[in-house]
Amino acid sequence: MLQMSWLIPLFPLLSFILLVVFRKSSNENTAWIGVLLTGASFVLSFGAWLAVWQGDGIKVEGTWFQLGERAITMGYEVNPLNALMLVIVSLVSLLVHLYSKGYMHGDERFSVFFAYLGLFSFAMLGLVLSPNLLQLYMFWELVGLGSFLLIGFYYFKPEAKAAAKKAFVMTRIGDVGLFIGMVLLFWQVGSFEYDEIFSAIKNGELSQSMLTLTAICIFVGAIGKSGQLPLHTWLPDAMEGPTPVSALIHAATMVAAGVYLVAAMYPLFQASETALTVVAVVGGVTAIFAASIGLMQKDIKRVLAYSTVSQLGYMMLALGASGYVAGIFHLTTHAFFKALLFLAAGSVIHAVHTQNIEEMGGLWKKLNITGPLFLIGALAISGIPLLSGFFSKDEILMSTYADGKYGLFWIAVIAAFMTAFYMFRLFFLVFTGKPRGSQKGVHESPSVMTLPMIVLGVLAVVAGYLNTPWFGTFLTDYLSQGPVELLHADHHGPVWIPFVATAVALLGIGLAYMIYQKGSVSRDWLTRTFPGLSHVIYNKWFVDEGYDRTVVKGTTGLSWLGVWFDKYVIEGLVAGVVSGVQALSRLGSEMQNGQVQSYGTFAIFGLVLLLLIAALSGGYFS
Amino acid sequence: MSTWLLSILIFSPMLGVLVLAFVPSHDEKSIKWLGILGTLFPLGTALITLSAFDMSSDKLQLAETYRWISYEVFQSKGEVSYPIFYEVGVNGLSMVLILLTAVVSVLAAVASFSIKKNWKSYFILFFLLEMGMLGVFAAQNLFLFFIFFEITLIPMFFLIGRWGYVEREKAAYSFLIYNGVGSAILLIAFVSMFMKTGTMNFEKLTETFSLPQEELNAVFITDGYMMGMLIALLIAFAVKLPVVPLHSWMVSVHVQAPPAIVMIHSGILLKIGAYGLITFGAGMFPEEFRSLAFVIGLFGVINLLYGAFLALTQTDVKRVLAYSSVSHMGIVLIGLAALNEAGITGAVFQVVSHGLISALLFFLVGALYERAGTSELNDLGGLAKRMPILAGVLLAGGLASLGLPGMSGFISEFMAFLGLFEKMPILAAVGTLGLILTAVYVLRAVLAITFGTEKEQHETYTDLTSAERVPAFVLLAAIMFIGIYPAWLSDMLRPALDVILLGLGG
Amino acid sequence: MSSVPLTAYLMLALILFCIGLFGALTKRNAVIVLISIELMLNAVNINLVAFAKYSLNPGLTGQVFSLFTITVAAAEAAVGLAILIALYRNRQTVNVDEMDTMKR
Repeated sequence: MLQMSWLIPLFPLLSFILLVVFRKSSNENTAWIGVLLTGASFVLSFGAWLAVWQGDGIKVEGTWFQLGERAITMGYEVNPLNALMLVIVSLVSLLVHLYSKGYMHGDERFSVFFAYLGLFSFAMLGLVLSPNLLQLYMFWELVGLGSFLLIGFYYFKPEAKAAAKKAFVMTRIGDVGLFIGMVLLFWQVGSFEYDEIFSAIKNGELSQSMLTLTAICIFVGAIGKSGQLPLHTWLPDAMEGPTPVSALIHAATMVAAGVYLVAAMYPLFQASETALTVVAVVGGVTAIFAASIGLMQKDIKRVLAYSTVSQLGYMMLALGASGYVAGIFHLTTHAFFKALLFLAAGSVIHAVHTQNIEEMGGLWKKLNITGPLFLIGALAISGIPLLSGFFSKDEILMSTYADGKYGLFWIAVIAAFMTAFYMFRLFFLVFTGKPRGSQKGVHESPSVMTLPMIVLGVLAVVAGYLNTPWFGTFLTDYLSQGPVELLHADHHGPVWIPFVATAVALLGIGLAYMIYQKGSVSRDWLTRTFPGLSHVIYNKWFVDEGYDRTVVKGTTGLSWLGVWFDKYVIEGLVAGVVSGVQALSRLGSEMQNGQVQSYGTFAIFGLVLLLLIAALSGGYFS
Repeated sequence: MSTWLLSILIFSPMLGVLVLAFVPSHDEKSIKWLGILGTLFPLGTALITLSAFDMSSDKLQLAETYRWISYEVFQSKGEVSYPIFYEVGVNGLSMVLILLTAVVSVLAAVASFSIKKNWKSYFILFFLLEMGMLGVFAAQNLFLFFIFFEITLIPMFFLIGRWGYVEREKAAYSFLIYNGVGSAILLIAFVSMFMKTGTMNFEKLTETFSLPQEELNAVFITDGYMMGMLIALLIAFAVKLPVVPLHSWMVSVHVQAPPAIVMIHSGILLKIGAYGLITFGAGMFPEEFRSLAFVIGLFGVINLLYGAFLALTQTDVKRVLAYSSVSHMGIVLIGLAALNEAGITGAVFQVVSHGLISALLFFLVGALYERAGTSELNDLGGLAKRMPILAGVLLAGGLASLGLPGMSGFISEFMAFLGLFEKMPILAAVGTLGLILTAVYVLRAVLAITFGTEKEQHETYTDLTSAERVPAFVLLAAIMFIGIYPAWLSDMLRPALDVILLGLGG
Repeated sequence: MSSVPLTAYLMLALILFCIGLFGALTKRNAVIVLISIELMLNAVNINLVAFAKYSLNPGLTGQVFSLFTITVAAAEAAVGLAILIALYRNRQTVNVDEMDTMKR
């Protein structure tokens, strides 16, 4: 099975090519091309995962091109970490393909959408299979392309155009960091291979400052892709894309690539305490920052987007706090419950044709499959015991505490409270109460859409049992087969942590219930008590505006300065030379007045001058 | 046959001129078809040459030498003979560029279908231009190089001045003056080298300049002289490349010349500058080149950032692309300044890759102009609806230009920066800012054309015709081929570049 | 022999030549210009004769040449005056300033 794993990304690529060829076909059965080929990748991925579970692994490489004596290689590798990612990516991709068959029904560019999904899946699976940094970087950019195309799928909408551009540029800023880190590592180690980089680190071939520098550069790449502070602003805007895209790319897979990158390069981060601290702090701050914005958003998808940013921050926090397993574990569970939440949100949007939660309400009865599934997702993300999110979040808190990062620990606890609150604010506003806005002909989505949600719902419940203190730490055992040496493999934090986590989750849900369901606390309580703060939070801490005023204005200002320089200084110099030459030639033409006498005078003076030079230079010309 | 092959290749465009001479000048259709056929013949010859080319050898291949001109000069040391030969030959580098020339010429000939008047003289000049370009890359001595170099200038001047857009004459003059000054400096340098060494052959010159210093002093070649020669050559080719602040002629040519000619200009003529820098600069004066590496790298980064910043706010897509060419030529300099395998290979890859990418983009802009009558970004928008193929290829070309992996632009940028990071990491880190800016201006321009709401006047526009799809798809395929399988190109280049690197000691 | 040295002859010739040159370049009247040219020619004649007499192996070549010069100068003066008269008939002037047709 493992020998065939190179086929995993090629199936979606084939789907892309076929669907581009058939892009004009109005027959919506073209979707099955995508579904079947992604299904094939899923089967292969699952097989590979089973093989790795039994302790197998594979790495195949060949020379891509020769650079001096060094060969730049390409190939594929399956190890515990990426086998897990393969399964997550191909599974979510398969489910999203299926879901889109219903969601995109009737769209003019139906087949093109599936083609783009294929391209994205190809790139994402290729990224995961990469055995070296260069190949990872290449697919990293291609994943960005897939995301760009899908965000801008509704190309005629100006918001989609702006969002697509923003997503590409913001992640590109991060990518440049990754690029620099990768190239610096290459000149230190002489290779892009993970194995060789890790063994060089182990042998102490790199200085401590170089380790920190490269690790932070690579982390900048992860910041861009995973929407961490300060490059997070593209992710909420990316919600302009169709909802299945948000579920696949901006919740489950691509944005998790940043976390995957840090995990894949973990030995590098482990070697530098500073780098780990940076990762943890960025993650922790992002977690609470994004959660705070999520409290007040009115667009259902944007709430989920900020929630994604916040949860990604959790994963980074875990990795930064030496909680390698906890980070991966949360990545896995989050992929399932967040994809579920997005697909459920898509189903709601499909039914009511709006994204504004103020215009929803009372949908529980009408959407009798979507509603409970959304509730499962919300409970899971809030960290209610026995659901997947509880176990993974618990591990993150444990490892943060065990690592001695108490400040970040409490930040994470507060963020958990906020998470529970905004998720249930969403739930109550959407599904309970009286219908607001104009809801006509609301009906449950077709089974092609509900089926993927049900699968994800089941996974959102059971995925947590991969790694629990009660039933066994399967995931820890599994991941420790990989190249990463797990320092604090089992965190035995204080026993009270799970209880605190559960308590804050319940508190958040309770508060949401009181405000939005019972109405015993006024809705604008917060706005009235802290008008300044809530204004800032409602406007997303003015980060976008800040960037507009500084970076964007600065860059365009520089550009105008350049244009001015080009127009006046450089062109001016040219014009100066031109007018100088013209003046000279005018002088010359004035000498030609047509009178023999003046010609004679010039001739005589010229002759005298020449003779003088000849006499003074001692007859050089002779 | 093979002894004459290269000369046949160089003069093969003349066949087209010969045939065209017998066609009445009002017969538009046959002139255009003959124009394409006339470029196919050099392409065929170039492919035959490629098959006769041994990729693993680092020797000059298919060389031809004939005695041409010779004159005697009486000097204090007695009668000295100055022979000038007709010498041509190819190595890996020039073979690649000849191939690029042949391919881009064919596609430019196809793009010339949109030429509206004087087709006969247009194609005759076109063929002369192609001959000049082929000759420049095949020439093996300074004299021949200079002659072919000048041959490219004159047809280019007329092609811009007669068939361009509104301000075509101004652009043509500014082209001629800048390049005239460049060639004047080049001529002085060449003549001076000839007088000092008595030879014009590239290999012999390289040999002479690499002699130990005592022997060089005996023939009055000092360190200062060699440095002076190198600087003269650098300035001459900096005009051609172009290097900021000598770039303004190139921008106006890009904006004013007809699209087919811009394809050739941006695709090949600018590359003569890079070819000259590599062959004469790095090849003949390695020591001096190494001591100037930092300056060259600095100019490269300035070019990269300057072009990118200016491209950000242009409102005419042709100007955006023109400044993007300035920016991308900076990468060539960056690669050269690195003086290592990665850098030099990256520079040559960038030469080829930018040749293909800018040919593609200007072709598409030309096709767009045909339909819309404008290239102002504000007047366009939402074209993806009526012309999905044009929009798709434009986006692909734009992505290639911003260095998306899987496209040739990525390989060249990656290698050039990889090289520079080894030698000057700080400068290189500043340069990476250009990668972000490139993404910004490319997406800004491309999205402004294809995305957004459709304007009313666009409803009648049609997508690329099947004749137009051929060049677009061929170029895109070539770009992706190099991007996915760079070994094909790098294997061909390595022997030639290794010789240069050996001289540079890097 | 007389004690007049060569330099005296040459100096005389130089002065004469310079006067002629000055006249030829500055005078407005075409007749005066012609006369000035004659002056310059005669300065040359003096040089020729002086060198013929004072050179290392004196001979008659210089004198013969100056005779030639005088002959040619006479012919030239005749042609010059003829042109001048033709010009005068056409343009009613002998002012050199007004004869700038070369410019047009």
